[in-house]
Amino acid sequence: MDAAELHLFDRSLGGAVETYSGAALDAALVRLGWHEALVDDRRAAVSLLFEHQGRAAVSSGAIDVVVAEALGVDTAPDAAMVLPALDRAEPPATKGTSGLVVQGLGTTRLPERATALVVLRARRGEQVAVVKTEELQCRAVRGVDPDLGLVEVMGATATMPSMTPIRPDGWSAAVTGARLALGHELVGVSAAMLELARVHALDRVQFDRPISAFQAVRHRLADALVALESARALLDAAWQDGSGEAAAMAKAMSGRAARTVARHCQQVLAGMGFTTEHPLHRYVRRLLILDELFGSTRSLTAALGRDVLSRRRLPPPLPL
Amino acid sequence: MELDAFRNDLDRWLDEHAAILAPERTTGSLDEHMTQLAKVKRLTYEAGFMRWGWPEQVGGLGGSPMLRAYLGETLTGRDLVEPGIYSMTETLAPTMIDYAAPALAADMVPRLLRGEETWCQGFSEPGTGSNLAALACRARREERGWRVTGEKVWTSLAQYAQRCVLLTRTGASDSAHRGITALFVDMDGPGITVRPIETMHGAPEFCQVFFDDVAVPFDRTLGQEGQGWSVAMDLLPFERSTALWHKAAYLQRRLQDFVETVPPEGLDPVAVGEAVQLLAAFRARSRTTQYRLAAGERLGPETSVDKILVASAEQAVYDLVEAGLAPDVLLDDGPEGSRWRSEYLFSRAATIYGGTVEIQRNIIARRLLGLGADR
Repeated sequence: MDAAELHLFDRSLGGAVETYSGAALDAALVRLGWHEALVDDRRAAVSLLFEHQGRAAVSSGAIDVVVAEALGVDTAPDAAMVLPALDRAEPPATKGTSGLVVQGLGTTRLPERATALVVLRARRGEQVAVVKTEELQCRAVRGVDPDLGLVEVMGATATMPSMTPIRPDGWSAAVTGARLALGHELVGVSAAMLELARVHALDRVQFDRPISAFQAVRHRLADALVALESARALLDAAWQDGSGEAAAMAKAMSGRAARTVARHCQQVLAGMGFTTEHPLHRYVRRLLILDELFGSTRSLTAALGRDVLSRRRLPPPLPL
Repeated sequence: MELDAFRNDLDRWLDEHAAILAPERTTGSLDEHMTQLAKVKRLTYEAGFMRWGWPEQVGGLGGSPMLRAYLGETLTGRDLVEPGIYSMTETLAPTMIDYAAPALAADMVPRLLRGEETWCQGFSEPGTGSNLAALACRARREERGWRVTGEKVWTSLAQYAQRCVLLTRTGASDSAHRGITALFVDMDGPGITVRPIETMHGAPEFCQVFFDDVAVPFDRTLGQEGQGWSVAMDLLPFERSTALWHKAAYLQRRLQDFVETVPPEGLDPVAVGEAVQLLAAFRARSRTTQYRLAAGERLGPETSVDKILVASAEQAVYDLVEAGLAPDVLLDDGPEGSRWRSEYLFSRAATIYGGTVEIQRNIIARRLLGLGADR
């Protein structure tokens, strides 16, 4: 896409995300040609949509599409995926005695589809199965973020579905793609929180001046911006680098940044931000879940540290 | 010259000349570092590499500033020069090119690039740290030139310097940023006294400099009288762009040295991962800044983000070093331990020098977040 097309696409996505959520947003994305864009210009499609989605704290099944497309599944635009459980990044299913043993999560689109795609860990390469949704034991999750419409999938299917092997690097590509998407969504969430706190600091008057005049407040917001920018920088680097390691670093940094931004912004928004009348709580709830999907900041960072210590080698830096 | 071609030529040349370029480290003193710096600058200038990325009117060969960024990256990454002293060129040469009379810049800048001369930057004063606009070092206009009287502090490498880019007060004492003029001062003239400051990391690279009625010709004025604040403000983004990129390359090298030698047991993998991520985030940020600089964009307050990130990365790296190599950092008096100790202690100043992180946060709050004045 050239600059003008990108700008138009960005505005259309922004408009869709402001208007719709859930199934209606999925339908709007089909109309806007987001799936075609995902194939043509993956970076633009993923970064723009997920950042908007984070800013607006809406939900969609777009992450399913990112994963399915990376796996090379033909039905990707319409597929519902079973995603890994919290803080996991391996395929959500194993082979049981009579059927698949599944432990994972689904987005809002999972209960709406008659079938779902389930990726299976196997000794010789991953395989993908098409499973009837009614055969999956699903629980609609309210939890910390009821608006997200998350579904918990647990237990075994009654029958063994037919399975197709996926391309050798399919699952790792799916994890990389999902981590980048989630990183952008976390950046969107962070940017929204920072803007809420920034506006509040300018509006809220105490001791005869806006609280934005107090250095204690200003420095919190400055640190929030620095955190947000460090996440953006690693996301940008990860797209250029293309490796799974770079995407994992970017996801970890985005999660950590979101928590830093939340801590500072919640403090600046104070009592106001603690009420459900103010939107902050929706972002705080959302980041807690997003940080855990496809590997949390905590575990990705520990894994990176263990890897560096055992190989005695830093990851290769992005060349100038 | 394109970056890829430059990279290949330079890397090959550095490999071929590794022996002559290698530092002769015995005590690790600042004198040794300065001798090594002069040698590396001279050799890379003679081979042409040091001239790329600088304009032809000051003895350069033209080309993108990216070439300078890569040269400094590879010289610091190969542990041939110490980044703090190497990168002063990145701050002072652009100032001369932009503000000195063309003949003066053409005469002086090559001396700096060739490693013949060391220059220093006289900004801070005992009463003027973060509040730079309150500086008091006075330049009095006389018929035949300026007469400078006052005191500077934290002036890096002043004891080695032949020249100084000096900020002086030429307006009324309460003229703040309006009454400042930048001068290019010879350090060997009468009336200048330099006193190195002993610091906790053991290398006396900062100095106090006293000016007692020092004569400076008018043609050594950088920019116009009263334009000194612009000179300073234009210099600071350079201090926070290419120079920081070089620093990151050095930190990458030292963190690699650390992971090669540290006993892995007992080290918190999360702390290791965080240091790696922070450094990678800074590099990614600074890389974008290099591209913006090369594209001719004017760098501004957003480089305060770079400065905070590099300070955080540097302290995270050396916190890790201190945790993982405590016996070396704390007790070893050999060259390796002394070097880690000096670098660890110096890293404590990363949030102080070149504008404290508090000042950077003030800039971010005001200029990037639009929070207005803080009073």
